Amino acid sequence: MPVLEAVLAGSEEMEVSFGPQHPATHGVLRLVLKVDGERIVDAKPIIGYLHRGTEKLFERETYPQCIPHTDRMDYTAAATNNQGFVGAVEKLMGITIPPRAAYIRMILAELQRIASHIIWLATHALDIGAVTPFFYTFEEREKILDLFEEYCGARLTLNTMRIGGVPWDLPEGWTDRCRKFVEELPRKIEDWERLLTNNRIWKARTVGVGVIDAEKAIAWGLTGPPLRGSGVQWDIRKVFPYDRYDEVEFDIPVGTHGDTYDRYLVRMEEMRQSVRIIRQCLDKLPDGPVMAWVPKVIRPPKGEVYFSVEGPKGELGYYIVSDGGVTPYRVRVRPPCFVNLQALPELVKGHLVADVVAVIGTLDIVLGEIDR
Amino acid sequence: MNELLWTYLALPLAKILVILLALVLLAAYMSWFERKLLAYMQIRLGPNRVGPKGWLQPIADALKLFVKEDLTPSFGEKLVFLLGPCLIIVPALVVFSVIPFGPSPHLFITDVNIGVLFILAVSSIGVYGIILGGWASNNKFSLMGGLRSAAQLISYEVPMGFAVVTVLLLAKSLSLVRIVEAQKQAGVWFVLPAFVAFVIYFICGVAETNRNPFDLPEAESELVAGYHTEYSGMKFAFYFLAEYANMVVVSCMATVMFFGGWLRPFPNVAALAFLDAIPPLVWFLLKVAGFLFLYIWFRGTFPRYRFDQLMGLGWKVLLPVSLVNLLVVAAFVAAGGQA
Amino acid sequence: MSFFGFLASVLPVDLFAGLATTGKYLFARKATIQYPEERKEPADRFRGMFGYSLERCNVCRGCEKACPIHIIHIESHWEEYEVEGKKRKKQVIDRYDIDVKRCMFCNLCAEACPTEAIWLTTKTYEAACYERNQALYFDKDKLMRWEGVKPFPGVKAPAEGGLPYFRLGGEEEEEG
Repeated sequence: MPVLEAVLAGSEEMEVSFGPQHPATHGVLRLVLKVDGERIVDAKPIIGYLHRGTEKLFERETYPQCIPHTDRMDYTAAATNNQGFVGAVEKLMGITIPPRAAYIRMILAELQRIASHIIWLATHALDIGAVTPFFYTFEEREKILDLFEEYCGARLTLNTMRIGGVPWDLPEGWTDRCRKFVEELPRKIEDWERLLTNNRIWKARTVGVGVIDAEKAIAWGLTGPPLRGSGVQWDIRKVFPYDRYDEVEFDIPVGTHGDTYDRYLVRMEEMRQSVRIIRQCLDKLPDGPVMAWVPKVIRPPKGEVYFSVEGPKGELGYYIVSDGGVTPYRVRVRPPCFVNLQALPELVKGHLVADVVAVIGTLDIVLGEIDR
Repeated sequence: MNELLWTYLALPLAKILVILLALVLLAAYMSWFERKLLAYMQIRLGPNRVGPKGWLQPIADALKLFVKEDLTPSFGEKLVFLLGPCLIIVPALVVFSVIPFGPSPHLFITDVNIGVLFILAVSSIGVYGIILGGWASNNKFSLMGGLRSAAQLISYEVPMGFAVVTVLLLAKSLSLVRIVEAQKQAGVWFVLPAFVAFVIYFICGVAETNRNPFDLPEAESELVAGYHTEYSGMKFAFYFLAEYANMVVVSCMATVMFFGGWLRPFPNVAALAFLDAIPPLVWFLLKVAGFLFLYIWFRGTFPRYRFDQLMGLGWKVLLPVSLVNLLVVAAFVAAGGQA
Repeated sequence: MSFFGFLASVLPVDLFAGLATTGKYLFARKATIQYPEERKEPADRFRGMFGYSLERCNVCRGCEKACPIHIIHIESHWEEYEVEGKKRKKQVIDRYDIDVKRCMFCNLCAEACPTEAIWLTTKTYEAACYERNQALYFDKDKLMRWEGVKPFPGVKAPAEGGLPYFRLGGEEEEEG
């Protein structure tokens, strides 16, 4: 039986396709792994199974019409997608948003960061075999989605920011409910940590897996928790602050070894820092209008702009070229997951096949953003 | 003549039928128990639509598996494909012929005087079911999954064997009924003197049944679902049932060897005599239920080990510990210090 | 390694902590909502099935222009009518179709409407059907009567007087 011989021979390089339909690839990602026995020699990610032509679509839609489409790129973190796009158009048009709008945007973005990290934790733990954190974390995510629903009407594809601010003011009692949620969240995070952080099986699966050092991380262009897990202090909210992030205090967690465990710790701490930011924003929320004066028809002047936000996955950038019309001439999105995924072959080289799922989970990829 | 027929044919046949039926139903309802318990640990309700509290869910699952299309891969080795599930379910059920559920001679089918050896030997045949199932699927990933699972099972049988030998040292017999009676004589369950052996036995038992945290060969996040990928319908049901039946076997063995079988806690202490109101069979079932609960609790809590870490744990940690434990207990027994 | 470190590695304290957490949640209140016997009430601003009011619509076509996917199709003609002896003209709607199966419920149409003639805050989301093309293409009659749509308990269809749950003007009054 040729298959048996091949397997028993051991030293033959086999090409294994971690197909597009697989429970652990977080979307339709195809990985072609070259394995030598059990060790991985090379990995080639093949994407494009979720390409929907979003950037081409933007060329036909007016600027306000583009915003719902940005929701659907990284569908786990719609608010930060919106924030990037409207921030880019506002930068192009020179609009300053009112302070209340900036604070509301910050609260929504940080809530969205927590929600996105919850999805990351749930699926990462599930891939490594811990089935229960999924349910505990999603219960908290339900509460976040309820808050979103009360504010803008939708839970996942929010369409919650407009050029010039946010469309509506907060409903009555929203700040109290939000405050109650963020007061309870740290205790729940402790519960989840008790299941994972010191667990010897978890550590055995994640310590030393997918290591990348700081220089290589910068060379590959990684951003977000993969970069910070390797020890580089780089967060767009601190380096190029937008939306009044310079008025709130928060820390940026960094790791030391650049392995999966450090990235896990970085994201858990980021959730706590988001709680800190939300608390401060709720305390400092100023009064005033929530929308700046913008013309009825948005027609930015000719020019180009690059604007980036710190999304949960990394630096989400929008490069918009405007020709003076009502629709953009070109919108290029810098998806953080796309750039992070490029480092996958580097991260899995020499590891076992079972570690590939851990590495995919730790990069936190969302195919909607990679393929657009 | 009539009495002979009754004692040696009719009565054992009746007992076999009862126990087989009870076992198959128990294995099926283990799936209900697991789904409900796992769900409750995950702050959700499990199946609760089919029948009150979901009691009819296993029946619905069994019916579904009966009517499912039975696919056989079209390339060769059909006989071996058929043999795989048989080789895994039959040993799991045959083992119950020697397990004592209670004291009287009617509460077990037979008491072989090499009971423990019989159980270890017969349950090792189950490994063939896995290897042949993986091989006959003609699918290189199933084969890899099957081989890995077989390697895991064989490796963890060694420390399990040593843990069992520890109990045999204390009980001085291989017969399961004698082991329970030895615990009655000693007045304490063997878990107290042989605690390390119990821990090793249970961990090996979890690994033997391919359960979390040692379930990598059948995990979905691996390349495939392991050795039983190509099976559907009743053949898959057999693998499924065999896994639960094996869990019940390990639980029953642990109960008999370490937790006194049908004995109440501290069977010779007169102050606890009121506990005798609970019949011995119920004590046995309660203890087995406790172990099954522990199995499911493990599944709900722990991530899974990678295969090389799994093998490392078995050979580099459990084996030395079980050997040292055996030496220590042997020294105690030799020095006359009975449990 | 300190003595306690050694003890901690031999006795699986971390594993027991995990078991304790799962055990605690075993007795916690379960989060399941038994649909369809129980339903979670959507928020006031929840963007669900459309509501449309023929009386309030003044055929400005703002919704048609605002829709990112162009699923609203409007046709109208001008009619003359007399008031106080003066001849006036007004637009009368012939066709107001929404292809709901393509809708992404982004709310841009409702925000563009100056008269609250179209709104999404109806708390209704149960519009499932067995055949998509016919059932989910709503003309103005089907839209007002909510044909094939199951209203959330307590919600009225627009034809029976249902009103938006969130007035985009700013105040939220629960009506309808």
